[in-house]
Amino acid sequence: MESRRNWILRTASAVSGAYLAGGLPLRADAPTSPVSVASCKTYDPQELLPVMQKMFDQLGGLGRLVKGKTVAVKINLTGSPTYRVDHLPLEDTHYTHPAVISAAVHLMTKAGARRIRLLESPWSTADSVEEYILRANWEPRDILGAGTNVEFENTNFLGNGKKYARMNVPFGGYIFPGFDLNHSYQDCDVFVSIAKMKEHATAGITLSMKNCFGLTPATIYGSGAGIDEPSLVPKGGRSMVHAGDRQPSKSAPSEKDTTTPREDTYRVPRTVVDLCSARPIHLAIVEGIRTMTGGEGPWIREKLTGVAPGVIVAGLNPVTTDAVSMSVMGFDPMADRGVPPFERCDSTLKLAEEAGLGTRDLKRIEVIGAPIASVRFDFATIRKTRRANPEKMFGMRG
Amino acid sequence: MAQQLTPMRWPSEWKDPAALRFLKDSSINCLIIEPGSELSAVREKAKSSQFTVLEPGVVPPGVKMIEGEWPGVRVSQSGEDGAGPTGIPWVDSNGWKIRLERSAHPGTAVWVDAKPKENARNFPGSYSISVADSGAYGGRWIVTLDKPVAQGIASGNAAALGAWKGIAASTSLFNAHPDWSSQTAVAVVGVISDFSGANESFSQELVNLLARAGQHDRIIRKDSFTPASFEGLRAIFYTDEETPSPALKSQILAFVERGGMLITGPKWAAARDSHPSFKSHPGFSVTAFGKGRIAKAVADLNDPYTLANDSVVLVSHRHDLVRFWNGGATASYCTRSHDGKHVVVHLLFYAFQGPDAASVRVAGHYRSARIVTVRTPERDVALKQQGDGVEIHLPHVPQYVALTLAV
Repeated sequence: MESRRNWILRTASAVSGAYLAGGLPLRADAPTSPVSVASCKTYDPQELLPVMQKMFDQLGGLGRLVKGKTVAVKINLTGSPTYRVDHLPLEDTHYTHPAVISAAVHLMTKAGARRIRLLESPWSTADSVEEYILRANWEPRDILGAGTNVEFENTNFLGNGKKYARMNVPFGGYIFPGFDLNHSYQDCDVFVSIAKMKEHATAGITLSMKNCFGLTPATIYGSGAGIDEPSLVPKGGRSMVHAGDRQPSKSAPSEKDTTTPREDTYRVPRTVVDLCSARPIHLAIVEGIRTMTGGEGPWIREKLTGVAPGVIVAGLNPVTTDAVSMSVMGFDPMADRGVPPFERCDSTLKLAEEAGLGTRDLKRIEVIGAPIASVRFDFATIRKTRRANPEKMFGMRG
Repeated sequence: MAQQLTPMRWPSEWKDPAALRFLKDSSINCLIIEPGSELSAVREKAKSSQFTVLEPGVVPPGVKMIEGEWPGVRVSQSGEDGAGPTGIPWVDSNGWKIRLERSAHPGTAVWVDAKPKENARNFPGSYSISVADSGAYGGRWIVTLDKPVAQGIASGNAAALGAWKGIAASTSLFNAHPDWSSQTAVAVVGVISDFSGANESFSQELVNLLARAGQHDRIIRKDSFTPASFEGLRAIFYTDEETPSPALKSQILAFVERGGMLITGPKWAAARDSHPSFKSHPGFSVTAFGKGRIAKAVADLNDPYTLANDSVVLVSHRHDLVRFWNGGATASYCTRSHDGKHVVVHLLFYAFQGPDAASVRVAGHYRSARIVTVRTPERDVALKQQGDGVEIHLPHVPQYVALTLAV
């Protein structure tokens, strides 16, 4: 009988095999990979560390993935640090919690990671990530001190690199054939996405794949990007990717077909898949210990509520991990456009599956650890109730 | 005496002396009335009612008058925010001018002459923020109504009366706390300059733009600095054209040796025993000196906006005195009571209404907090201890809030 570890390694490598084969494989051919699910009620390291350690062990051990390697970790710090949902700390609603980042860093160091880079493209700034998170009331030293050789890099611009890294989409891409990204996304052996479990106004849900939307530097893909060459500093959001109202700086690959719909609900899911194909995710972690319902951040004009699902999902394939996460949220990962949470948009998971990144079919995904039903937190019913009784919004937000 | 005056420019639309009744619940006690026979009855009635009456252009002894901007977020008639280079709404405030004037003339009252913008949308709350934008910094806004509001008050229009009620409550709030304006400013950085001649434009704009960047600064005039001028500061700016006097330079270097940071232009001569620091910034060469650092701009300093914003990162957000969440276009000013037992944090929200779920963090250790607004009397508010600071979750508040923190 094949050992779990060998099976995991074989199925994980099938992801890159699918890329090399070219073309869009049938859904049934999309690779699968096991997903670990765990109940975790608090961010207390005494609970969190053993839970995450066990999850990584269930996935074949962190050492096999990171030992002696440079690990790049994309965290989620979406929106300005001056926005909160009511009075709640950002990490309790829409930012990846620093305790989860620290725990991952600690466990990666323990597993032999040579270097760990924590990456994010903070909103409209070239300031360091450390300075950015101080404004969220975080202490960068808590994270940097959780492991050895740990550093942050702001990937919203050239950063510490000498040039942007050209990363092509192996299957050709839905919207973009390739991207010019901060060097950190290329200068790594292992790429990890640590996301928050949330709904998303444009893409329905935001999990490990949607987290990678933030890979794109605003100097090239932002509203203030240079026309010919990247701007020196990032300015504004990524409206060009959302709306398609202009092209990236000419130095970067432009869109494949500018006659495609200029709708964010069409473009964002496809661009996310393009990014996850260009920069494959080796380890996907979706953190839902505490999070929010109603959208991806405080600026969303729906009723937003801080909630505590008390769950973490992790896997070696972002599509299978996101599929299991969706099921934990009470959504059907097989849902297509028109079905919650994709009422208005295309399903990132379906597009990723069709591109050969992984399956979203739960029947083909081995779930390890807590059964989905035992940790389910029903975002879907909350969404239905919320939308049936919309609240009038009032007041001012920063 | 001058400190106790709250001035108002009498609207020319109010020709009937009976309009003085509107002032009953306010603390306005000084009227600037246009000359001429049309308003002579008003003038006489005001004098007999114990108001100080002035003619336009007459500044009473002990008062300095400054020309100000109509404070608030720049909003055009189309309703669009005037955004700054970072996309953050551009806030016009007179706080920096008041502080500069007060530092040049200690002990004098500062009046701000800022008329409502004719081509802007003036929300009812705009008047309250105009009072607070001066009052918080120890000045007094010359209450000036635009024509529609003055006419509306006279005719009993509800919105205009609402705006007037806000003005009356705001002026009364500041008059009830005369001690605030004599307290010492709490700051993170100091700006050293003579603020005049060739240095006037850059140094004054720096003070203005530091406030916009959310930084709390202390104005240190070259002609009146003392060792106490540097107390409690994390960094100081020296950007004047001329090299500092030996006495000032010695004080600056002593400050750096003790652990402070000097932010200066490329002409600053390298200090002996300085060596490269680990912390770098693309626009600055940073060297260690004693326990502190000297951040010398690589190129000539000609953009106070960039310097102000870069300096916030050079000093580090770790040392933010006040942090806001959900505040929108904000400003804050902190003062410490003379006995050192209390700190007053003035919070200003420049949007057309106050926030419904703002939080604020104030650096420092405090035991308790009280909150006062124009809507509610002073009361306790919960404090959440948080490392080297305290966090306060504000209820739905109007555009001005004063927090009194007990040390």
